Amino acid sequence: MSLLRGRGLGLEVHLAGWDFDTAIAELIARLSERPEFYRGTTASVTLGEQPLAPEQLEALRSVLASAGIELGPIAETLPDQELARRRALRPKNETDAKLSDSARSLVADFAGARADIAERRKRGETSVRRANVAAAATHVVAPLQVAPPPGTLYHVGTLRGGQALHHAGNIVVIGDVNPGTELVATGDIVVFGRLLGVAHAGAQGDNDAKVYALHLQATQLRIATCIAVDEERSRDASEPEVAFVRDGRITIVPFSKAAEVPG
Amino acid sequence: MAGRRIVVTSGKGGVGKTTTTANLGAALAKRGMRVVLVDADIGLRNLDLVLGLEKRIVFDLVEVAEGRCQLRQALIKDKRFESLAILPAAQTRDKDAITETQFEAIVAQAAEQADYVLIDCPAGIEGGFRNAVAGAKEAIVVTTPEVSAIRDADRVVGKLNDRGLPMRLIVNRLRPEMVRTGDMLSVEDVCEILAIELLGIIPDDAEVIDTTNRGEPIVLDPNARLGVIYDKIARRLEGEMVPFTSFDAQGFFGKLFGALKAG
Amino acid sequence: MAMHQPLAQEVTAPAPKLGRAIVVTSGKGGVGKTTTTANLGTALAQRGAKVALVDADVGLRNLDIVLGLESRVKYHVLDVLEDKVSLDEALVPDKHSETLVLLAAAQAREKDEVDTEKMRALMQRLREHYDYVLIDCPAGIELGFKNAIVGADEAIVVCTPEVSAVRDVDRVVGLLGNRFKPQLIINRLRPQLVKKGKMLSVEDVNAILRLPLLGVIADEPEIIITTNKGEPLALRHDSETANAYHAIAARIAGEDVAAPAPELKESLIDKLGSFFGGKRA
Repeated sequence: MSLLRGRGLGLEVHLAGWDFDTAIAELIARLSERPEFYRGTTASVTLGEQPLAPEQLEALRSVLASAGIELGPIAETLPDQELARRRALRPKNETDAKLSDSARSLVADFAGARADIAERRKRGETSVRRANVAAAATHVVAPLQVAPPPGTLYHVGTLRGGQALHHAGNIVVIGDVNPGTELVATGDIVVFGRLLGVAHAGAQGDNDAKVYALHLQATQLRIATCIAVDEERSRDASEPEVAFVRDGRITIVPFSKAAEVPG
Repeated sequence: MAGRRIVVTSGKGGVGKTTTTANLGAALAKRGMRVVLVDADIGLRNLDLVLGLEKRIVFDLVEVAEGRCQLRQALIKDKRFESLAILPAAQTRDKDAITETQFEAIVAQAAEQADYVLIDCPAGIEGGFRNAVAGAKEAIVVTTPEVSAIRDADRVVGKLNDRGLPMRLIVNRLRPEMVRTGDMLSVEDVCEILAIELLGIIPDDAEVIDTTNRGEPIVLDPNARLGVIYDKIARRLEGEMVPFTSFDAQGFFGKLFGALKAG
Repeated sequence: MAMHQPLAQEVTAPAPKLGRAIVVTSGKGGVGKTTTTANLGTALAQRGAKVALVDADVGLRNLDIVLGLESRVKYHVLDVLEDKVSLDEALVPDKHSETLVLLAAAQAREKDEVDTEKMRALMQRLREHYDYVLIDCPAGIELGFKNAIVGADEAIVVCTPEVSAVRDVDRVVGLLGNRFKPQLIINRLRPQLVKKGKMLSVEDVNAILRLPLLGVIADEPEIIITTNKGEPLALRHDSETANAYHAIAARIAGEDVAAPAPELKESLIDKLGSFFGGKRA
């Protein structure tokens, strides 16, 4: 893993896998190549297995300061592209979610899902099915939870194209999710607004995960390893809807009928 | 034998690289060639939009480069053609997510199973441009007959020359009436300035905007004059000596003006 | 800047107001950033403001062409940043507007030769002497883009009514982040095509972008002609487009002027388009 990474107008220092003294020497060398480039910015630091001793921290701080860089947040987990980005987009008062090894690869293997879509197309079926709610299961289902479970990422504001939120837990967006945006959650996804981008709920294989939106017009919906593309028409979602997996396929029902849905 | 690897570039943005890549690729596929289109514009991907394939993106160029999936899993076959597939760019990443070496390797791999690999180059001459060109053995330079576009194309021609890439020119968005009134440079003027072999002349056509918005390449329309023109360009790429057709500027300006060439 | 003897009361006078530094950006190339920068700069200067235009497109400079100044450019931004010449020597006075100057980009250099911090400092210096500093941003979201926004405190995004452009602009707005509250100019609208359902409408564009609208500019062959000739359209007052630029300039200056929106009359472009169109409707 390379030691330094420019990110936007700032800097990331990745110490994982580096002997600390070698890393400091390398950092000094790299910064002296472009001494003024990062002046006035902040550097975030991610550590490897070892935490930093106080004198190491001080050494790091002073090397950065001599290049005009302020020492920023220090994270202990091994960074992922997604994790770094998620951190950048996170609202200030969220508690730190430590990801386990399995949680780090949030994007499931879709080979099976694509073969599934291809099969469906051969049979002439579409990927997304409108549920006939009247004929849905008749057994009583527990009412929807009111309090959100722990580990939910809240994002207030519109997400613009090219932005991504990846989270081990649920994601709630209060705002719109524009096309070209990616939401990946191990749990549920809830959008209080228009969902126009790509949403992947149950990213680690939870088939019971759901996607809720006031206007469910996602470019592509994924739950666990199921993928759905609405090929019939570009959706004109006129009421809040929820998407879930039933019989191995993604189904969408109006929100008002959600209580009748199993799982 | 491996397929030809051609980058479609321009320097100036908005002159029609993506539209040309899509339509030329489609025209070649219609002629029975196996075509792979690669979108090299990481972060600002549009090739998938212009072909209406956005909803089917599961994996992208960066994920192939990072080894998270195979190339064949990322390729999206366009159902409307026998043998046209696209490798989409990533949207939530930056152009530094892939190196020239990685890109070249992916293009080379794509070329093993295709007759043509067309690379849609981003605007500009920065890292994204360098990556795109790294994958190519030939170039098509697209320009409009406007001074700024020609100046930028000239810069690009210089850079391609440095790399020894054979190149040919497409003049896009020609408005013959404006050439007649002296308000626009003629194709001859453009060729004289840029001094590279002409591959095609494409007149300005209001229909194109609508087709790209809807994701339906204009070559699908048997009545579209532009479809015929892209087909001629495809034939010239194949080595056929197709004359540039002339058409009379009738209608609004009457028969006062003689035949103007396009095609 | 006139030099004068400081009077006693000026010792306690407040520091001179910094000019506004506005970056004109889009992500998508070819939507009209350079044309907009040149025309807005001209329109603001015509109102008497002191305006500096900066071409941040190192290696692909075009702002000088659009202003008709390419033969007068001797030095460029990198020459100033590298201390080869003073800022005053590099600034090119505009041919047509008295209070307008241009700082051109280098043509034979690369974007990664620009020192970000020095660029920021240079924009700051310009702001000390000019009411408006308009920065013409290159296409894309790479280093050129980052260097163009570093010295700005406001942003105008330019978008055309096309799906690709809207997506790219949306990306840029996301990248601009919370520092900027960008305002939108929709360029190259063809009202007839919108009416026929063959082009996105203003509402379609802003349904995704959700930005305050500075104005809408219709597509006119005059625009290409004037950019090729190097005489910005905003020098005139007889065309709808020129007046649109003037209205936008007034709005930028804080005047309560309605945002320009082109009428639904058949423009010359539409007449040209109708017999070049692929389908014989």
